[in-house]
Amino acid sequence: MDSFFRRLLYYFRRDKFEAELEEEMQHHAALSGRPKFGNVTLLKEDSRAMWTWTFWEQLGQDLRYALRTMANNKAFTALAALSLALGIGANTSIYSFMDSILLRSLPVQNPESLAVLNWHSKPRSVSKGQKGTTFVMHAMSGSTYGDSKSGTTAGIFPFPAFELLEKDDSSFTSVFAFYPTGRLNLAFKGQADIANGEYVSGDYFRGLGVPPASGRLLLRDDDKAGAPPVAVISFAFSQSHFGGTENVTGQSILINNIPFTVAGVTPPEFFGTDPAAVPDVYLPMHANLLLEAYPFGGPGAQYLDKNYYWIQIMARLRSGVSLAQARATLATPFHQWVGSTATNDKERANLPELLVSEGAGGLDTLRRQYSKPLYFLLTLVGLILAIACANIANLLLARAAARRREIALRLSVGAGRLRVIRQLLTESVVLASLGGFLGVLFAIWSIRFLTLLLANGQSNFTLRADLNWHVLGAAAALSLLTGAIFGLAPAIQSTRVDVMPALKEIRTSQTHPRFHVSLSQMLIASQMALSLLILVAAGLFVRTLANLQSVELGFNRENLLLFQLNARQAGHRDPEIASFYSDLQNQFSKVPGVRNVSLSHRSMIHAGTGLPISVSGVETNDTRLLFIGPRFFTTLQIPMLLGRDLEERDQSGSHAVVIVSESFAKANFGDENPVGRSLTLGGVGPTATRTDMEIVGISRDARYGGVKRDVPPVVYLPYYLQPASYPVQQMVYELRTAGDPLAYVNSIREIVQRADSRVPLTNVETQVEEIDQTINQEIMFAKLCTAFAILALLIACVGLYGTMSYTVARRTAEIGIRMALGARQGGVIWMVLRQVFSMALVGLAIGLPIALATSKLVESFLFGMKPDDPLAIAAAIAVLMTAAVIAGYAPARRASKIDPMVALRHE
Amino acid sequence: MEERSEIPPGTLYMLILKTLLRIGPMHGYGIAQHIQQISKEVLQVEEGSLYPALQRMLIKGWVVGEWKQSENNRRARFYSLTPKGRKQLAAEIAEFEKVTAAITRVIQPA
Repeated sequence: MDSFFRRLLYYFRRDKFEAELEEEMQHHAALSGRPKFGNVTLLKEDSRAMWTWTFWEQLGQDLRYALRTMANNKAFTALAALSLALGIGANTSIYSFMDSILLRSLPVQNPESLAVLNWHSKPRSVSKGQKGTTFVMHAMSGSTYGDSKSGTTAGIFPFPAFELLEKDDSSFTSVFAFYPTGRLNLAFKGQADIANGEYVSGDYFRGLGVPPASGRLLLRDDDKAGAPPVAVISFAFSQSHFGGTENVTGQSILINNIPFTVAGVTPPEFFGTDPAAVPDVYLPMHANLLLEAYPFGGPGAQYLDKNYYWIQIMARLRSGVSLAQARATLATPFHQWVGSTATNDKERANLPELLVSEGAGGLDTLRRQYSKPLYFLLTLVGLILAIACANIANLLLARAAARRREIALRLSVGAGRLRVIRQLLTESVVLASLGGFLGVLFAIWSIRFLTLLLANGQSNFTLRADLNWHVLGAAAALSLLTGAIFGLAPAIQSTRVDVMPALKEIRTSQTHPRFHVSLSQMLIASQMALSLLILVAAGLFVRTLANLQSVELGFNRENLLLFQLNARQAGHRDPEIASFYSDLQNQFSKVPGVRNVSLSHRSMIHAGTGLPISVSGVETNDTRLLFIGPRFFTTLQIPMLLGRDLEERDQSGSHAVVIVSESFAKANFGDENPVGRSLTLGGVGPTATRTDMEIVGISRDARYGGVKRDVPPVVYLPYYLQPASYPVQQMVYELRTAGDPLAYVNSIREIVQRADSRVPLTNVETQVEEIDQTINQEIMFAKLCTAFAILALLIACVGLYGTMSYTVARRTAEIGIRMALGARQGGVIWMVLRQVFSMALVGLAIGLPIALATSKLVESFLFGMKPDDPLAIAAAIAVLMTAAVIAGYAPARRASKIDPMVALRHE
Repeated sequence: MEERSEIPPGTLYMLILKTLLRIGPMHGYGIAQHIQQISKEVLQVEEGSLYPALQRMLIKGWVVGEWKQSENNRRARFYSLTPKGRKQLAAEIAEFEKVTAAITRVIQPA
């Protein structure tokens, strides 16, 4: 403890202490009769280091010195800080998305003990011409993923499987199930709106450990057939529709025209179990008996069907039980149960197995969708940061050369080499911190921009990223790291000077030591190589987007307005619902400026319905359906190859007619003319209801189910023919307009409001917007990569320009002599440009093989081209060389303007 | 010039403390000379390590310094042992002997 006070005393009387030490050493020198005493200053510094908290003191000195140096070199500081800010900002914003999508846990109690249940089976390939079923999953509702190699994985189960898992209490303290309701019509005090909901089993909220924000959440007793219909609404929905959480409990709301009582409100941060879907309302699972049409077998059949896969299951692990243990415990009972549901030997051979996966992050819909793109973007912004670092290292190197005398002086008066390196490093870290600070500001802006870009006009976009301590910590660490990386090499390099020659050197034309030049040239070449990678990526994505946008749709996308109505959810029933829809079609067609109106049960882009269609008693393969209204082909401008469009006279009660696509005709009738032949809608089994229809027209193929998919054989049926198992629900109206389609929205809204105010108008968009949304990722990639490529090129060119200007300045005298000896201006320009070319070519030689090798990694993001697309690569090379020449030309020209007399006199 | 050995690491404090115990208050040069003489010129104390060591010992409170007239009529700092320094010396010697004995056992022919 007293040593502390001795140090403190020293701190206040340091001059005296140092004078004493000096005197003591001089005394020693005098007695020993030796004149010199080694490095006195270093000895003094050592002793000072012993006495004080020198580290902090020196840090303070270094910081002050660094700030002064930065202020003295404003242009350099601004340039370096700006390029770092862009690099760090881009990395921070992409990382914040990764943080929110890939790393964040559900906002519930102990998320780490949650588990998600999935199953995995052999690949469920569509088996053509095979008789009988090959999998126990006879019918599924929900998403499955996988491919023909890894097999199929999904998180949907039959209800009896849920009951089986619920019974087991060795692994789980709670098992709960849920599935999305789809869009609901939710009316409160006569105001109808669209809401997203989730059906949840009785233990859902208890299992997740979520407390109510007001009222109560759903309990086991609510989830029973015949229980009074209650609903829980989300905090955000209570704010937007009820003006707060107070007085919500006990209110009556109409959901799809059925009265429900609001039981309570979920807490503000809660968003369900899937970050990709934020439900507005939670309903007891058995309430689906009130709200849904029964797909098959009548009310409640889906709860008994052991081969219908539809509910998602999560569970909370008993404390001390691991995921692997839970899986081991449950594998056998699940296997036995699922084996008992098999109806033939093939099914028994292809049984799915149970997977128990980590559930802290909820369902992984978003992770699956965005993890690959995000890792890709993170790689790109990482490359940009590397370019920025190389650039600053280069600038520092040039500056260090200019500071050689200063550094030599410091070393000669006794500064330790490490001490000088530390001081130089402090400068770079201060610079990087400034860059990091500006980078975070840039990130705040770019996160907003990226969110907009990702959402691309989707109003229900649920992805939210923000700056939290996680992200800010990462940004700070990144700044320090980059500071150390770009600062270290120049610092080590510049302190490796031979003191005497450097001191003697008085701004002469003496050429640079060879090593400096080659290090800085190496940095430029690597910047060129990295820029090439980003340019190739940009080229590939711009071409992909161009390919997608020029895909032949088969219909005219311009001046087409789309919107959706769901009359069934507002209480309309068969057969009146069909005339409700056709009356509206009539009224829309009378709006001035509307040229043609039609409707279909899905839009072409989002279509994807398959029901059995047979020709002469044989079921057709892979046939897709679309239920349409009159004048569909006229409105979409899909050319008819033979026969006619659907017309008003084709109504319920009249002779059933149908139109088929070119591909369907070719696949099922070959070269014969199918007009006049008949088709059958419905299964081939003895109990199935069947409808026979006459083919009255053949249409040219048009994109069905998205622009990227191959066009399937399609049958277009009038919507009044929708079977009882697939009743008329929502309709998408297509309006061909004169001029901007969105200008008609108000008149349309008025017409719908007058017809039935309970039916909300949703998904209002132009056909162009709808298509853009389906290729949103490609648009985003093309835009971002282009921006990144410009940024990378800009930074690299600034570096090239700086280095060449510096080289020309150093060689002024030499060039002067050359010109005095008769070198031409053109020759001098070429001499400088040759150096530029050589660096760019080295960059190409490094970058091109890397680009070719890595572009395969993005193959899945491309459309209509190979990853080694020659056009994209050639364009990237051309852009890079052009940029290099532009950046190198100004210094080259300056070199050619050197006046030999001035240059030599300067000597 | 005869062969001179480096002072074994960690023993400089012990040598300085022992010197001060034997000859009483002394300045840096005197301490170095004394060690050199007693060791028959085998141990050479470099000033580059002597003065930092003395500074450290001042900080630790094992020695105190006092400015007095030296033999060449100049001012010099004379170091003298504190009670804490005596205790430290005993501890260092005990430790040194333990280690030396151990090393001897290891290198003795079997």
